[in-house]
Amino acid sequence: MTEPHPPVAVPVAPPWKRDFPYQSLSEEEVTRREFARYLVLGAGTIAVANVGIAVWTQLRTINTGEPRALVPLADVAVGEPHLFRYPEDDDPAILVRLSPTEVVAFSQKCTHLGCVVYYEPDEDRWHCPCHEGNFEVRSGDVISGPPTRPLGRIDLEVRDDGMIWALGRPT
Amino acid sequence: MRTSERARRTSSAVVLYVIILVAFQVFLITVAVEAFQTDTESLAWATAAVSVVLFAGAAAFLRYLRP
Repeated sequence: MTEPHPPVAVPVAPPWKRDFPYQSLSEEEVTRREFARYLVLGAGTIAVANVGIAVWTQLRTINTGEPRALVPLADVAVGEPHLFRYPEDDDPAILVRLSPTEVVAFSQKCTHLGCVVYYEPDEDRWHCPCHEGNFEVRSGDVISGPPTRPLGRIDLEVRDDGMIWALGRPT
Repeated sequence: MRTSERARRTSSAVVLYVIILVAFQVFLITVAVEAFQTDTESLAWATAAVSVVLFAGAAAFLRYLRP
């Protein structure tokens, strides 16, 4: 004969537990040390991410990838800018024909805080309207304003077919 | 009894320090993203170095946490 089991006290769930009846076997088993360990693990993950971002920033150059045709030279009037995307579809870039034979192109991202720069034909310079940064039109060097580094210059070539090509990564 | 109370307080302090370090790490990743967007290599590397040091500090604090 088996003995009857003693009565088991069933814990009364708090009201919020009845409203949100989700159970986890270990929900009450996180110790202080484990919590601190999770935090340190998160800190390590962020540290690795920061190092990765630094490496990515270091390796990234605007002249990347394969040579690419941008626009026919005949379609760009002297003194007129032409907007395009380079090297990726998320990277705005700008090209201007300074003379019948001279074309320059730069990343459109200001080196100060990443605003978009525009060509100012009257002043013959690149201008960032966000913080009044100005860059030299041919070299991209800083003329005035808060930026400290020149604009990213895109290497170009006008080929025999009349197209303006971005040369991509130098070999 | 006294030792136990002291150990408990030390544990609380360590957890607090680690939380502060992690919060600072979160701030640093925003700095790193900004450095990436503006192509500032020096800032990105400085941020990464500080971040690694903070991680090492947080890991070192675990030693003072009672099991």
